[in-house]
Amino acid sequence: MTRLRVMLDKELLDVMRNRAALFPVVLVTLVTVALPFVIAIGIPAATGERLGEDADLIRVATASTSTAAGHDVAPDARVQAFLFEQFLLLFLMAPMTGAMTLAAHSVVGEKLARTLEPLLATPLRTSELLAAKMLGALLPTLAISAAGLVMYVAGVAALAEPGVLAIVINARSIAMVALVGPGAALVALQLTVLVSSRVNDPRTAQQFGVLLIVPLVGLMVAQFTSMLALTARALTAVGLALGAIWIVLLAVSATVFDREAVLTRWR
Amino acid sequence: MIVASHLTRRFGARTAVEDLTFEITTSQIVAVVGPNGAGKTTTLRMLAGLLQPTHGDVIVDGVALTPASARAVSRRIGFLTETPALWDRLTVRENLGVYAGLYSVARPTAAVDRVLNLLDLANRASSRTAELSRGLRQKVALARALLHQPSILLLDEPTSGLDPEVTRDVRRLFDELRAAGTTLVVSTHNLDEAERLADRIAVLHGRLLAFDRPAALRQRLTGGRTIVRVCGDAGSFLPIARAIDPDAAADGSSLTIRVADADRDISSLVRTLVEAGADIVEVRPHTPPLEEAYLHLLKHPLRPDTAGPHA
Repeated sequence: MTRLRVMLDKELLDVMRNRAALFPVVLVTLVTVALPFVIAIGIPAATGERLGEDADLIRVATASTSTAAGHDVAPDARVQAFLFEQFLLLFLMAPMTGAMTLAAHSVVGEKLARTLEPLLATPLRTSELLAAKMLGALLPTLAISAAGLVMYVAGVAALAEPGVLAIVINARSIAMVALVGPGAALVALQLTVLVSSRVNDPRTAQQFGVLLIVPLVGLMVAQFTSMLALTARALTAVGLALGAIWIVLLAVSATVFDREAVLTRWR
Repeated sequence: MIVASHLTRRFGARTAVEDLTFEITTSQIVAVVGPNGAGKTTTLRMLAGLLQPTHGDVIVDGVALTPASARAVSRRIGFLTETPALWDRLTVRENLGVYAGLYSVARPTAAVDRVLNLLDLANRASSRTAELSRGLRQKVALARALLHQPSILLLDEPTSGLDPEVTRDVRRLFDELRAAGTTLVVSTHNLDEAERLADRIAVLHGRLLAFDRPAALRQRLTGGRTIVRVCGDAGSFLPIARAIDPDAAADGSSLTIRVADADRDISSLVRTLVEAGADIVEVRPHTPPLEEAYLHLLKHPLRPDTAGPHA
């Protein structure tokens, strides 16, 4: 655990010294925060068309199980609540997409810089190395996403119609951003680190990691179209399952990490 | 102490090193020399537990090196890689601090300070390693290998990129470490360095061609040849010399003669030459540069049973 902490501290220090690498994460987070406000508040205000006057939006918002509790609020607030809750799904992807580059470069970068050999000569376990690599990519992006989420909630509280915040902040949304988001990021980044340890090019690792974004986009579309509405309990189960998958993936990563290949096939 | 028995490493169909057997006792410096691709780095990696031998065993301080024991054994070993392998965005102190943590060094800050002072790097402790010259980077890498005070140092080209003054300081440091009980195995292309540094030299070319003291390696090559310098032309004394050694040669005022036993035969040789009228100016053993011995060994490998695997 101590060695994992030492490696993690090194990874975080390295990322902090390479702030440009975090710029895409900040950008994605800012877009994630701003986009719902543009759609739910900015465009209606600019065009003078109220959200509550759009019959389709009212129908979708009313059909959404998550906003059923908010049927007694005004139509505008009901649609805003629906939109703000759906856009929360973007926070599942923000940490993942942002950290993907960092994770993809993690082991390949060490290979290219030839810095792995002295590391492998220490008592550091392969699992500690790979977990540190993954967490080193995840934690900074998770922190930025968390900051974005705080801005998002503060924005909803300040700018949305009365009653919207109380509808958006519910057990489902909390399970989504607190469990499913980090869980999906854990799995995607560990997968990326795993691939990163086996390939010669960070782009290859990144492409594999992106694979996990596909089901999340599917989940988002299904939510939007009311095809799928997972309960808070179901989302909690999904989050925990992702955590379990991460542990399995970490073990697989450590098993397939070929120390000898790293030393002898990198010239 | 390191004991290697019949170490062989293959990469697919290619054999990098084959059947290396040697023993390195405590407080010795062994220089591993050989041409590019001779297997020097592969050998060091096997001794460090980074590569598993295809055949054979390594025993480090009485512990057999296996995948299971490699982590424990790694605490006894300081390993300097072929390239400095530093994290460019971290400072010198931060680079060393990470390794102090990974080796669970008891007082990491003090340990880092110790090696910084030892390598005269204290004034660059706060510099990012990307800003350092190649020589300084190499010194930092060396400091990293010494951090946890290992009993065995495996050093791949340790003086590569260092200027002559620093190289001398590093050699002095190696002498001090040896005196303090550390065993050093140093891979190098620099035969002069090998001769200055090492108690034993391992000449490697896929196989262990020789493993002996530098003087003994030269002795093997020269086979006890002696140079006798006389006044005037040595050619006139060549028939006498050839009566002792049929391969004796004359060159200007010098005769080169091989004698079986220097203590016994040289006095007899001198007496014979003086009786034949030679005015002898100098008698000395023929000592070719180590490079000559090395090149001779590569072209004419010794039989395995004469390679001298024991330190």
